[in-house]
Amino acid sequence: MKFLAEIFGELGGTLLFLKTIMTTLVNKKIRRSDVFTQIWSVIIASFPTTAMAGFFVGAIMTVQFALLMNEFGALGYLGGLSTSATVREIGPLLIAFMLSGKVGAFTSAELGTMRVTEQIDAIRCLGSDPLQEIIVPRFIGIVIASFFLLGFGLIMSIFGGMILGDIFAGVNFQEYLRHIPTVVNPVSILFGTVKCGSFAVVTATVSTYKGFTTTGGAKGVGKAVVSTSVMTMILIVLMDWFTSFIGDIVLQIARGYRS
Amino acid sequence: MIEFKGLIKKFGNRTVLNGLDLIIREGEIVFILGTSGTGKSVLLKNIVGLMRPDEGEIWIDGEEVSRFSEDQYFSIRKKCGMVFQQPALFDSLTVFENIAFGLRRHFRLSEREVTDRVQLALKLVNIQGVEQKRPTQMSYGMQKRVSLARTIALQPKILLFDEPTTGLDPITTTVINHLIQDLSKQLKSTSIVVSHDMNCALSIADRIVVLDKGQIEAIGTPDELKKSQHPLVRDFLAEVLSL
Ligand SMILES: Nc1ncnc2c1ncn2[C@@H]1O[C@H](COP(=O)(O)OP(=O)(O)OP(=O)(O)O)[C@@H](O)[C@H]1O
Ligand SMILES: [Mg+2]
Repeated sequence: MKFLAEIFGELGGTLLFLKTIMTTLVNKKIRRSDVFTQIWSVIIASFPTTAMAGFFVGAIMTVQFALLMNEFGALGYLGGLSTSATVREIGPLLIAFMLSGKVGAFTSAELGTMRVTEQIDAIRCLGSDPLQEIIVPRFIGIVIASFFLLGFGLIMSIFGGMILGDIFAGVNFQEYLRHIPTVVNPVSILFGTVKCGSFAVVTATVSTYKGFTTTGGAKGVGKAVVSTSVMTMILIVLMDWFTSFIGDIVLQIARGYRS
Repeated sequence: MIEFKGLIKKFGNRTVLNGLDLIIREGEIVFILGTSGTGKSVLLKNIVGLMRPDEGEIWIDGEEVSRFSEDQYFSIRKKCGMVFQQPALFDSLTVFENIAFGLRRHFRLSEREVTDRVQLALKLVNIQGVEQKRPTQMSYGMQKRVSLARTIALQPKILLFDEPTTGLDPITTTVINHLIQDLSKQLKSTSIVVSHDMNCALSIADRIVVLDKGQIEAIGTPDELKKSQHPLVRDFLAEVLSL
């Protein structure tokens, strides 16, 4: 029971924090240069990781699909199907995991250190609002950068799929790419995009919240980092399910209108 | 003038400040002594609203501030400069930008004036030529002095020092102690100094407050405390008096 209460407490705290971020974003002036610095530093830090993650996700999906489709003699559709699966589901999920491990951990450690070394208190004493000064720029930075990184990771995954399709199943590049437009429709891309966005918001909110509310010295910073990773992972999976669920409903309604 | 009325601060079921009453007069230098963990830092943080008391009132120049909103605290924090126990410098900014940080937010100054005030503040704490360094490239003692400079650059009317000289060499300690005295003379500032430096307390304090278990155990001028028979006071004084 106590465990459950704790989980709901955490969730509530995170949501309230998101609300505070939003009100600060709307009501206070955020310096644009701060935001761009954040976007840039997140992209620089995580570019190689996401590229790698994307490449291998695409590669793995292609290998798996190739094994299955070989039996049905449908290798022509390899590119289309594996890209569709990657873009809609696996790509955003796995890349978001990588990103949360990297950006999320870094952000919560940095903010946690600022908290326990009284830097955040100092910001308040020196006439500024830490939310406006450091939290919101980081939040926007992570969301926008994650969005780009996830998109880029997905492109890399197509690339990975292409190469592995050629090596592993002998499907050449043209053939691999030929059926992508038939199977991957705008709706899949929209799905992928929405997922990327929601995962980015989860990572940004949890890492800034955990960092900002750190207590208890160096050990506290360690704890904040660990709970950031755990919480983002869990919430990303939940969001994945949730977005699919909502997406399904939306699709049903749309189909209903058409017929 | 700062006045605490029945101040109570708890963390969970632990009472740190337990009904504290104290008046600090304008222009006074008050030293606060007490063993580790008695709530000295907590007391200072309550003044500038970094922590809020659970009960009681805090009056600063005729305003009850403990229920102020974060925005209302802006003017209080401009008036009350706080020097933290840790250097609390921003790692990502240079020394110059660290000191300019508060100046840029509390005042509307030209770039020229900012530079002048940063330089003056650094001169007062006896360091020069470090403007472009990062805090992580400096020793702890240097960082503490920069942190002091960052607060006095704002020339606040009320200065709160949380162990400003702990961990500094004897020469710098003397410089800082003179600085506290000069500031109170020149700016007519009121100072509250949390310190373990008994010698310094006896030489520059107008009054000394001894805290224990969240309450005031003894209070008085240095001369009064020297005569006190209170066991805790005698313990604090033992080291100095035996010289
Ligand atoms: N944010 C906090 N959460 C919980 N407990 C706290 C918090 N801040 C301080 N305390 C507790 O309040 C008590 C007083 O702390 P404080 O930092 O004021 O001590 P201090 O008198 O400044 O000691 P020192 O001389 O070591 O700096 C300590 O026991 C500490 O554990
Ligand atoms: Mg302290």
